[in-house]
Amino acid sequence: MVDLRLEATVNGRKISRTAKPHQRLLDFIRDDLNLTGNKEGCGAGECGTCSVFVDGVLMKSCLLPVAKAQGAQIDTIESLAKTGELSVLQKAFHKAGASQCGYCIPGMVMAATAALRINPFADREEIKERLGGNICRCTGYQKIFDAVELARDVQNGRLPATALLETDTEDGEVIGKNVRRIDAPSKVSGKLKYAGDMTMPGMLHVQVLRSPHAHARIVSIDVSAAEAMDGIEGVVTSADVPGQDGFGVFVHDQPVMARGKVRYVGEAVAAVAAEDAMTAKRALAAIKVVYAPLAPVFDAEEAMRPGAPVVHDYAPDNITKHIPIRVGDVEKGFAESDLVLEETYSTQAIEHAYLEPEAGLSYVDPDGVVVVVSPSQNITHHRHMLARIIAKPISKVRFIMSPVGGGFGGKEDMIYQGMLALLAMKTQRPVRLVFTREESIISTAKRHPSRTTLRMGLMRDGRIRALDMRMVCDGGAYGLSTEGVMRKAAILAAGPYVIPNVKVDTYGIYTNNTPSGAFRSFGALQTAFATESHLDIAAERLGLDPFQIRRINAMRDGATTHTKAKLGTVSLTRALDAAEKASGWEAGSPTMRGGTRGDLAHDDVRPAVSLGARFAADGKGGKQEAAE
Amino acid sequence: MLICDEYLTPASLTEAFAAMAQHRGRYRVVAGCTDTLPWAREGRAGDVNIPALIDITKIPELNELRIDERRVRLGAATPIQRFLDDAALGHALPATPRCAVWFADDQIRAQATIGGNIVNASPAADITPCLAAHDATLELASLQGGKIVKRTMPLGEFLTGPGKTQLADGELLTAVECDALPGYGGSFEKVGHRRSLVISVVCLAVLVKLDAEGRKFDDVRLAIAGIRPIPRRLREIEDFLRSKTLTGALLEEAADLPLDLVQSRTRQEYRRDVVRGFLMRGLISAAKRAGAHPDGLTTAMEAAYG
Ligand SMILES: Cc1cc2nc3c(=O)[nH]c(=O)nc-3n(C[C@H](O)[C@H](O)[C@H](O)COP(=O)(O)OP(=O)(O)OC[C@H]3O[C@@H](n4cnc5c(N)ncnc54)[C@H](O)[C@@H]3O)c2cc1C
Ligand code: FES
Ligand code: FES
Repeated sequence: MVDLRLEATVNGRKISRTAKPHQRLLDFIRDDLNLTGNKEGCGAGECGTCSVFVDGVLMKSCLLPVAKAQGAQIDTIESLAKTGELSVLQKAFHKAGASQCGYCIPGMVMAATAALRINPFADREEIKERLGGNICRCTGYQKIFDAVELARDVQNGRLPATALLETDTEDGEVIGKNVRRIDAPSKVSGKLKYAGDMTMPGMLHVQVLRSPHAHARIVSIDVSAAEAMDGIEGVVTSADVPGQDGFGVFVHDQPVMARGKVRYVGEAVAAVAAEDAMTAKRALAAIKVVYAPLAPVFDAEEAMRPGAPVVHDYAPDNITKHIPIRVGDVEKGFAESDLVLEETYSTQAIEHAYLEPEAGLSYVDPDGVVVVVSPSQNITHHRHMLARIIAKPISKVRFIMSPVGGGFGGKEDMIYQGMLALLAMKTQRPVRLVFTREESIISTAKRHPSRTTLRMGLMRDGRIRALDMRMVCDGGAYGLSTEGVMRKAAILAAGPYVIPNVKVDTYGIYTNNTPSGAFRSFGALQTAFATESHLDIAAERLGLDPFQIRRINAMRDGATTHTKAKLGTVSLTRALDAAEKASGWEAGSPTMRGGTRGDLAHDDVRPAVSLGARFAADGKGGKQEAAE
Repeated sequence: MLICDEYLTPASLTEAFAAMAQHRGRYRVVAGCTDTLPWAREGRAGDVNIPALIDITKIPELNELRIDERRVRLGAATPIQRFLDDAALGHALPATPRCAVWFADDQIRAQATIGGNIVNASPAADITPCLAAHDATLELASLQGGKIVKRTMPLGEFLTGPGKTQLADGELLTAVECDALPGYGGSFEKVGHRRSLVISVVCLAVLVKLDAEGRKFDDVRLAIAGIRPIPRRLREIEDFLRSKTLTGALLEEAADLPLDLVQSRTRQEYRRDVVRGFLMRGLISAAKRAGAHPDGLTTAMEAAYG
């Protein structure tokens, strides 16, 4: 390997260093220069967390071989607030509340800086366009655009600098006020350390061997060749688990690494700790696993049929959880109804796509406490489970929650922390694992795909008499949060409506797909999609306005739900009123319109997507040609 | 992950060919690397070990830009962003800035090259059909008997299928030459799942030249991509429109010519609808930019497609 001698200027300082020929600029600034403000969200040019200036031009450092930086001037997020004072844009991000998890924010601030350098008068459309290469999963972008507009106006003197300061809170009065987030400066400056940014002296790098099979028996695993390799400090498999293996939110059905068989493509089989990630990767190739493929099952309803492949021996029917609810008599309700409607709805798996891929560190502290640092959304539960898995008293296990670069439910499961603890114990050195985006997508939980058959009986005036829902969810290979999701789905199945006769069955089913788990809304999305779509169809059939049919059935203050929860106040009718007003809704049954709607011509309706705002701008705050 | 033992940045064509000869069979040429690095990731090529990467972006000849009355010569390492930053270039090749603004994002455009887009030969490439509409010819160079030998070939011939070209072993794409078309109106229509960083499901490059009064088509050039293995010039529509008077009815007729364009395996019905809409919108926008007389375009049409 021919190392490079790299001469460049980084954040105003000359550097002269050797670099590996295959390093990307992103690796060089993060690993070699320890400038961790810019992140690696995808490694493939798609997200913009890695955006840096190269000779004043913003570029994605994950796509730049480091050799391209030869002789160049590189500016990272750390260059913007070098003296400790935030730039106008960073202050504006703070003021506007434009950072949430913060993982996208360094890249976003860089892109916004570039946009206003190129056109200090850019309007909102042009700002959007110029920030198009940067993704944020938390904010919905509006506050980010607000922040850039605020910074623009302060820089141009249209607003005073005081506009960047906190204005309306006094004496600890915060409710109803615009309060600045106290953690925002650490995020807009790139100073906040997420798990993947942290290093420790003597730290080893971890890589994971994953299953290529959806369902297979593990005949044997031979790690001897990998263990013998230079630079390898430790290899672990399920054989290294000293205690009771198994984790999960409700059932502890998932081993730290595959035990006896693999149940989905991407399941961890072995993990390696080495002096560097490349060496660890090479060792993975030296681990010999012999698999005996088993018949897989990929469809939840097929998995429920007798004779289907069994995913877990403890559940021969593949049912992770069935939640039945019965209120009144649905058959009687249907008999009394004027209209009975039946439809089947399905929803697909959804990836959380938090901008921060999973990452974690583990080490054994001087007192023999096994410490795991990770963006876990459930550290206390993880701590208890890990103590049992590694057979240590709870006082010898510690979990530290690192800043979460977006979770949305996807970081509730103890998918990788167990492996890290085992490697820290085996090597007695700090170990760190950083997932690639691909690894994160292939191996971590998704939103439950669902298939829902819904029957509803209604009176001619729109009142619902009966609801019968059967929802089958694909829970994938392991239980994770499936039980909770099935409960919540069943609880919310009938919607916020008064229905005298209700029958609900929700099923979470084991298959050989990627496990499903927690995802914000937790089962409500799947059932609400069915119930609400059904109500729109009912409105059409009965000639009612969709808002009206909901008002007719809406729960009011003091209502009791189908699961016997007594509600003090119910804001549904107020929410309906507000939504109707804000949308400029054209009243009437869905059938009264032809091909066009009369309620789309107002300011809150977004125009069709286009690009090219920059062609209209003259760079001085005016317009060159009529906007197209 | 892309792993190499050596990363070479030759400063001239001669140096580049020397490096290619020295590492024969063990090298790969790279320019902006925006196709190459994402390709070497899990789920695609995975970890790839290439002994020598030869980066051609520092070769002065591959960065040159020459514009004269008739032709425009672009070095193969021209970054896409140049179509937006260089006003004279945008003026000479009027569809290119409209295409560039839809290409990836501001950052990747600063790095991605025209040569990479052409040689990568993706059916969803954007600048390739746009250059095809400008009648691009390629200049290819290789070392033969110690001398640099060049040949030229129309872009349409060079591309032979998805990921396939006529680039010979040991050959480099050095330059692209296009017709200079100042005074033409250009447009580029593209649709994908979002507006930045998106692969074209359909894209269309349009160039229109009108007579002095802005009433008659003097010339039309159209190239479509995303829906077939390689981009296709729509000569039938070009010929149909040439010398005719611009009216809404004429455009509708052109958009309805029975050409079976969609060869994609998926979403054919959708793509057919999009192609028709794009032909209307692309021709209307390009005609407007070419100075169309207001009589030719009814306000109803502009509202529907403009
Ligand atoms: C996030 C993202 C978004 C993207 N969006 C778009 C988009 O909207 N539209 C679009 O069309 N593309 C898009 N791309 C793809 C890519 O950016 C383009 O195809 C780009 O033009 C490739 O150029 P490059 O210089 O980066 O190619 P490289 O990766 O450097 O090279 C690509 C191939 O061409 C060969 N090559 C390059 N130059 C030469 C030469 N002079 N002679 C011989 N061979 C050569 C290389 O050997 C390699 O095989 C996107 C890519 C990413 C990562
Ligand atoms: S764009 Fe570089 S890490 Fe995502
Ligand atoms: S704040 Fe943007 S991804 Fe979380």
